[in-house]
This record gives sequence, C-alpha cells and structure tokens, in this order.
Amino acid sequence: MTQAEIKLCSLLLQEHFGEIVEKIGVHLIRTGSQPLRVIAHDTRTSPDQVKKALCVLIQHNLVTYQVHKRGTVEYEAQCSRLLRMLRYPRYIYTAKTLYSDTGELLVEELLLNGKMTMSALVKRVADRLTETMEDGKTMDYAEVSSTFVRLADTHFVQRCPLVSPTENSEPGPPQPAPTLVINENDMYLVPKLSLIGKGKRRRSSEDDATGEPKAKRLKHSTDNKEPIPDDGIYWQANLDRFHQHFRDQAIVSAVANRMDQTSSEIVRTMLRMSEITTPSGAPFTQPLSSNEIFRSLPTGYNISKQVLDQYLTLLADDPLEFVGKSGDSGGGMYVINLHKVLGSLATATLESVVQERFGSRCARIFRLVLQKKHLEQKQVEDFAMIPAKEAKDMLYKMLSENFILLQEIPKTPDHAPSRTFYLYTVNILSAARMLLHRCYKQIETLKRNVNKLDASEIQVDETIFLLESYIESNTKRQ
Amino acid sequence: MAEVKVKLQPPDADPVEIENRIIELCHQFPHGITDQVIQNEMPHIEAQQRAVAINRLLSMGQLDLLRSNTGLLYRIKDSQNAGPVSFFLSKMKGSDNQEKLVYQIIEDAGNKGIWSRDIRYKSNLPLTEINKILKNLESKKLIKAVKSVAASKKKVYMLYNLQPDRSVTGGAWYSDQDFESEFVEVLNQQCFKFLQTKAETARESKQNPMIQRNSSFASSHEVWKYICELGISKVELSMEDIETILNTLIYDGKVEMTIIAAKEGTVGSVDGHMKLYRAVNPIIPPTGLVRTPCGLCPVFDDCHEGGEISPSNCIYMTEWLEF
Repeated sequence: MTQAEIKLCSLLLQEHFGEIVEKIGVHLIRTGSQPLRVIAHDTRTSPDQVKKALCVLIQHNLVTYQVHKRGTVEYEAQCSRLLRMLRYPRYIYTAKTLYSDTGELLVEELLLNGKMTMSALVKRVADRLTETMEDGKTMDYAEVSSTFVRLADTHFVQRCPLVSPTENSEPGPPQPAPTLVINENDMYLVPKLSLIGKGKRRRSSEDDATGEPKAKRLKHSTDNKEPIPDDGIYWQANLDRFHQHFRDQAIVSAVANRMDQTSSEIVRTMLRMSEITTPSGAPFTQPLSSNEIFRSLPTGYNISKQVLDQYLTLLADDPLEFVGKSGDSGGGMYVINLHKVLGSLATATLESVVQERFGSRCARIFRLVLQKKHLEQKQVEDFAMIPAKEAKDMLYKMLSENFILLQEIPKTPDHAPSRTFYLYTVNILSAARMLLHRCYKQIETLKRNVNKLDASEIQVDETIFLLESYIESNTKRQ
Repeated sequence: MAEVKVKLQPPDADPVEIENRIIELCHQFPHGITDQVIQNEMPHIEAQQRAVAINRLLSMGQLDLLRSNTGLLYRIKDSQNAGPVSFFLSKMKGSDNQEKLVYQIIEDAGNKGIWSRDIRYKSNLPLTEINKILKNLESKKLIKAVKSVAASKKKVYMLYNLQPDRSVTGGAWYSDQDFESEFVEVLNQQCFKFLQTKAETARESKQNPMIQRNSSFASSHEVWKYICELGISKVELSMEDIETILNTLIYDGKVEMTIIAAKEGTVGSVDGHMKLYRAVNPIIPPTGLVRTPCGLCPVFDDCHEGGEISPSNCIYMTEWLEF
C-alpha cells in the first residue's frame, strides 16, 4: 500500500464510519495481520471499542479474520476492498440503469449495510419506495423480491459464506472463531420465501391514519412475532460482477467510437451472452457461433444474417483485434479478446494523458515510440517530422516524468557514452502503475476540497478502473 | 667483314599506331584491359614502347588507370567525361598532381560529397595543403561546398555541377538547412482532411458495411495525386514523401493503415502491395484523470497536506471551482 492509498483509505473510513473505526482501520492497513489485544494496545483504545470497530469493518467485508494454529485469531484489512468504497456511486448508478429504481435502492441498501438477509432487505426497500410514491399507493413486496431474484440470477448479488454446518457437531472445544464456507452452486440460489406484504409509509404519529386498512395493521403486528424465515442467509453485493459490467461498457463504447453503432450492438450482444459463462480474468470469452449471435440480437435490429456476417468479419479484421475468429463451425466462431482490449484501453488512456499534459506533438512522439518499440534520437526526429531541437526538448520532458524510458546498449565494454546507443522505449505496465498512483493521490486531493467535486472524483475513478483492470490482467497472465 | 647488327624494325612500331591499337583494344573491352592483354595482342612490341604509349594516353586523359586484384587495368575513359576533363587538364597543366588527386577523390564521392578530413585520409596530404588546394579549386569553380543538414557546421565538397543528394540537403522538407515545420503541418492537415471527407462520404452512403469500409480507404497514390493537384507545394513531392506525412498522421492517432496485395501494374502499387489509409476516431474520450486541475498541475509531486503547496490552498483548484 502506498502512502497515497493509505491516506485515501483513512479519508474514506472517516467519511463513512467515523474516527474510531478510521484509527483502527488505518492501523490494520499499516501493520498487516494482528490479534485483538495487540490492536487495542497499539492504538490505545479500549478492547470494547476495538471490538465494536472490528464488528463494523467485518460487517462491511473490509476486514477478514483467520484462526492460527496456536489458537489466536488475527484480523487483516482488505486494502483493495477499502478503495472500492470510492466506487459505490457508480455501482448504484449501474443498478439503476439495469433494474430501475428498485434495483438502485436494493444495491444501495446492500452496500451501505454490508450484509443483509433478503427479507429485511426487501422490507426496507419497499418502505423507502413507498415513501417516494404518491399518497395512497404502496409498493408490493413481490415486485421488490422479483427484482432481487433478477439481481441474484445475473450474479450482481451473492450469498455470504455461512458457518459450516458440521462445526457444531464436532467434539472437542469450540473454535475461537467460526470458519465460513460457501458452496459455489449455492452462491446465487435465492431461498424460496413468500414475502407477502406492502411497504409501510413512515408516519410522523403513531395514531391510526385514515389511509391504512385495519387488516394490514394486524398483519404487521403478527409479523414481528414470527421468526424470519431466511435467518442466517445473508447477501452481499458482488463487486467483481459490477467490474465485469464496467469493463463490458468500456469495450462497447470503444467499439462504437471506432466503428459504428451496429458493430457496438453486436459486441454488446456477444458480451451479454458470455456474462455468466466466462470466468473473470479470462483472456478470451467463450467462442460464440455466428448463428447464436444472430438469434440473440435485440429485436430492434433487423439486420439480415449476411449483413451480420459481414460485420463480424469486419470486426475480426480490424487492426484493433478486439474480436477474433476462432473457428468456422456454426457459421464462424468468434471470441472477444479481453486482455487485448484492456491493453488497448490502457494505452489509449496513457496517450490521452500525454496529449493533455504535454501537447499533441509530444503525443505524436509518444505513439511513435510505442509503435516502434525502440528508437534512437535521430530516428524519432525523422519519423515524427519534428525539428531536432523541439523533439529533444519533448523527449526529455517525458523522460523526466517517467512516461518514456532510456535503454543503453553499449558498443564497447567500457560503456563510453560516445560509443553507446541510447534508445527510447515505453513500458506500458510501469507507466500504468505510475499513473494509477497519481490517480489515487489526485482523488485524495479532490476529497479534501470537499463536496463540490463528486463528479470529478467519479471521472478520475473511471481512469482508475481501466488502469487497475489492465494491471490485474497482466499480473494474472504472468 | 664487320657484323652488322640489324635490328628488325617491326612493321607497326610507330608510337601513334601503338596508341591507336591500345585504344581499339580498350573499346573492345570496356571493363578494362590488363597489361597482359596488350602484350598478347602486340607481342612484337617491347615493354618499354608499350609503357611509353600507355603513359602518353594517360596524360592525354584518354585512358583510366585502375588497380585490381590481379594488377593494373587500363580502361577507356567515358566519352562524357572526356570533354570537361580535357578542359580541366588544360587548365590544370600548370597545377601540381596533388590538386589532380584531390579533385579525383572529390569526384569519386559522387553526389554525396566528401568531408575535408576524409580527403586528408585518402590523399595523405597535410591539412594546410588540403585547404590551399580546396580554395584553389573552389575559385576555379570546379568544386563547391554544401552544408550538410545533419551537422550544420560540417561542409562537404562535391563537383560543381552535381545536385547534392537528399541525405545532405534533407530532401523536400528542408529549404536552406531549415526544417520547414509549417509546410509539414499544412500538408499534414490537408491529407487528414482529405481522408476524413472520404470516410464521411462512405459513412453517409449507408450501404452494406463491407462496401462502406472499403470505400473509406484511400491509397497513398490517391492522396499523392490530390496533394499534387492542390498545388500547395512549390517543390515536387514524391509518393514516399506523402507516405512519410501519412505516417505522422498515424502517429497522431488519426489515421490507420493497412497493406493489401495488389496486382503488379495497378496504379500506385509498389512491389505487389499497396498501402491504404483511413481516417479513424480515437477509442476513448479524454480520460478523467486530466479533466481535473491535478492532472495538469506542474507541481503535483510536491503537493501534500501541511506543506507549502497543499490541496487546501491550491490556486488552480480555487480558480477551477469558481466556474
């Protein structure tokens, strides 16, 4: 964790949870995995308060615990998960675009509360929706639960790991901390609940209001006494799935910018079809045949099979290499090249930063060195058609900011400067990491300038997302 | 009786005859003849007479003396050069051989020219002599000095009537050692506009996508013709020049290129393939990082809370917020 990231985490914790949680959280980030007593001692807070703070953090999936062999339990902060808190508005907005207001509120409640049972969640969301509706109308639980089921089916929400059922039956002393397990297949299984009811409007007085039918009030009072049917089954938001969705959005908009609307719709269809079948971090989506794609196109697009085939061929031949052809069965099997896409988007981000900071001539030199991999000073001037003095100036400026690197190739063993080749080169991965660090520092700066800058935070966060996905895909590849 | 030694005078011992025969031989073998060949041809001529004839031909400038692995070669001098050289020789009759040597070295360098230090290495003459000779030759208008565009202090010498090579003057982009930036910029914009309009018309036509894409491409030959017809350039531009301009557009990210195989003989094809260019849009809009003042701030690395430059007293930020 870099300094900038730690400062950012501390700001986020303070904003969302307050001082004590912030102190504990930052301490855990700085020192790694620690048991309870050590935390209490080092931060000079009472164990009670530490316990409460840890509860909050665990509830929100920001801290995990582990039982060690000696029987101690150590707590560890999940730094990357902490930084995701920046992105909450984007997650909520995505849910709104996909599942309208109901979805938006469901995801919002889930994010703000960390983990919740389905019934509690549905109830709360129904209440909130009812408040916003006109007088006399109420929100039905069934509608809310159906939206919830859809969210679970598309994997946007997932079940939290449960206490393993065999633990309690084991002989011997009970474990200091339960181990949580979850079966892959059960992760998105919605329990069969019959949630009947409507949202309740929060009234300022407890008195019987005219709009409320008496029968409903009776039912509500009985509800409180019944045990909640899905006790113990908690749900959390599946952030990886949201990230996958953002990545798909970025791909579709890139294709729309480079080609036309129809091609981007085709790519969107392909991505939608491989949403659930492709694991995250895979370099390619599953191969899709052209017939399947034709069948799954949205109904608004009346293009014939031939035209679709032509578009697919064009996409596969494009120098961008976003779509590749992997076989000829079923009218042609096509895959989307995910790693390549992330690489191109990261490169485009780098180029855009260079262009805005240093000017379009510098951007030309940057792209030139990127394409040709290694170039000498003289060659740079010749290819870019920029006078020697200016070219030198720009290269040195970019070198000082670490966008461009210098590679020495000596001709003689004594590395004499007059007999050494000096080649300029660009390393995308290291430049991406450097830029990412800048982004975090920038967000911290924006946050300190309070409130008015939420929109710009979100814009910087877009850049953070692209760069992080690219770096992640690269490290997985290695 | 006294023995009279009679030397048989061979019939064609006439020096002029010998010379003519040698010249005929040289014409027969334009790549040069060795001494052995002459000897075979005229076996009755003594070596000394041969040498005299050859020397005379050399000094008259009708023969060239070359060295090869096997020995010395005599080659007839080119009829083109015969003229000015004899003129030169008549001028140089008074000058010493050193000047002739220097002149020959410069001539051999062709239209790339040769640097004074290189002349010194080749002729093994001291620097002062070289400089004197060069000044002499320049005043006689036999050679000229051309400033090289690579190193502006360096002067290369070449024959007076030769056109300097592109590598020395820089080609079409340099006029008098100055890189013509505005010229390049103008050409850049014109090419881009041409490709852009072509892509637009292709898009508007709304035919099936294959045709649309293919018609948005323009070959380098088409662009070259368009630029020539525009007439914005005083200098004659070749297709390679236009291709270098189009390459800069590629590095600007505005244009993409593909190479297709083309039949030999179709207009604009080089060695069986053609380069096609197409205007494209960037794949992402300017990224979020640079839409805030921090992205463009020159003192970003020095900025931290509590320092002299800090987020709370950032002047760029306050200016930006006032919008």
